[in-house]
Amino acid sequence: MEEIVFGIGITALAGALATVAGAAEDTESDIGSQGDPNSQVQLAPQMGYIHRIFNKAVAGEPPAYGLWVALGAGLAWAFMAMQINPILAIVLGSALAVFVQGVYATTAYLGRTASLAKFGQPVYIDILKSMTTVTMAHAFVAIFTTVAMCHLMISALGHPFPLPLLGLVWGIALGAAGSATGNPFYGKERQYQEQKFGAGVPISASGNIVRYAEAGQRNSLDNGFFSAKLGGPASGICFGLIVFFELWRTVVFEPLAAGWGAVIIGIVIILIFAIIDRYIEVWARKTFGPYTAPEEASS
Amino acid sequence: MSALGGPKQTGGVQSPTGMGIAIGIVLIIVALVLAFFFAQMAGLIALVGIIIGGVLIGFGVHFVPVGGAPAAMGQAPGIATGVAMLAAGAGLAGLFGGAWAAPLGLPLALAGGAVGGGLLMAITCTMVNIIYVFGMGIPAASGKVAKDPITGDTFPEYKSQGTEGHGLPFISWVGGVIGGALGGLGGTLIYLELLDIYQAQLPTILDTTVEQIAPVAISLAGVFAVGMFLMNAVLAAYNITGTIEGPHDPKFKRFPRAVIAAAVASAVAGIFSIGLLELVGVF
Repeated sequence: MEEIVFGIGITALAGALATVAGAAEDTESDIGSQGDPNSQVQLAPQMGYIHRIFNKAVAGEPPAYGLWVALGAGLAWAFMAMQINPILAIVLGSALAVFVQGVYATTAYLGRTASLAKFGQPVYIDILKSMTTVTMAHAFVAIFTTVAMCHLMISALGHPFPLPLLGLVWGIALGAAGSATGNPFYGKERQYQEQKFGAGVPISASGNIVRYAEAGQRNSLDNGFFSAKLGGPASGICFGLIVFFELWRTVVFEPLAAGWGAVIIGIVIILIFAIIDRYIEVWARKTFGPYTAPEEASS
Repeated sequence: MSALGGPKQTGGVQSPTGMGIAIGIVLIIVALVLAFFFAQMAGLIALVGIIIGGVLIGFGVHFVPVGGAPAAMGQAPGIATGVAMLAAGAGLAGLFGGAWAAPLGLPLALAGGAVGGGLLMAITCTMVNIIYVFGMGIPAASGKVAKDPITGDTFPEYKSQGTEGHGLPFISWVGGVIGGALGGLGGTLIYLELLDIYQAQLPTILDTTVEQIAPVAISLAGVFAVGMFLMNAVLAAYNITGTIEGPHDPKFKRFPRAVIAAAVASAVAGIFSIGLLELVGVF
């Protein structure tokens, strides 16, 4: 019994760490503009809209986070093998991984933006100076929490994978959950804030992203401020729920029915999410109703 | 004419060519012979398991509703990320569960892997709809079919002007869960087959016990399983080319090509992973 209570405590802690990781990951990717909406940031200058948005989408979020978290986990693992305290080892490993992220962000911004020179898009050095460090800070939070979560899974729950491999697996899953949940909010609601609420962006409006803020030109820090209100926390909840339920069903229910308890509970959780999803879908159809064209063209 | 008007959507279905199938079969047979040569019957069984795992991954990726960049602007239905990456996220989460349940036996580990992958997709797809509905005020609408094959919901009247649809209709949600489950199942199967091989070969080569080589065997099998997962997911993504809504999308019919490609690629990659220790032993 004590073992199960301990397991539930670790599960809750891992879920909490994953929630923070998901929120930090999405906010980082929105400030750095690394998700799919960055296609519009890249497209805008080609359509004549010069902007001051960061631009580092030379890799998708899942492989990028797979790399950074595996790197942080691998270094932490090496430090732990050198008998360094695990918490210090994870901090050091994550800090070193963040420097790689910083180099990636810098070269990606310079490379991607320089490729737009023939469309008149300048490389803003002040953007590079002020925003790279902010993405690095958010990346540190995401990497540290994910590596700490992986360490808990191994040392407290006894998962057989070594830390670097677990870092790769959960890093890719973190990027997948964060980009899936957070991207539409950054893409539709922020970059196309001028478009009508409650409808998709017409394809004809592509590239016409919002470039001006309350005072002066909008930059990626404004975007991080915005997406941290919903897209980030929602991504955090998404990744937190994934980690929590994955661990919870195993820790609590694996002793039942010769191990099949975890599988059955997993299927039950999937069915519960199916009901929630269907309820939301029907609620949206009833509440919002069919699409009605605005009186004036929105594009 | 499709249900939505316009030209009939064939989805670019191209049947595999005779030459392609012949070369594929030859490569698979050569790989199977080599597997038998390297590790006798155990090697043969492991390679068959790896091929089945690869096929499950390649087939499963076609179920995952991925809208890519257009989905991030509410211009196309699906999840706003890459095909291979989302499938990898789900499949690897499944591998995590499957590897954890490995000591409990093959059926339980495979079921654990499938449920792990399905669970990630179920939560992710639900959160995507929550963002679309409560963050953006947009109801789900498919661009490829007029009616949801499961719920019977109609879509054309909910579709925003100038878009191909948006959000995740229920059929896409179900497709996502099936895709994640198949990915988790395939990834776990590859992992378990390789783990068996390494646990049998490593103690002989290194002259140690199974317990002592367990971390090395688990790491090697895990790394190869992740690698083969990504390989098959990317192959399927090339077959899909861009975005897919799920099992109701005309592009879904392209899967036979990906299944053959995944089988051949898994056989070739599998033989390297099985023969790895033999090669190490030679040197």
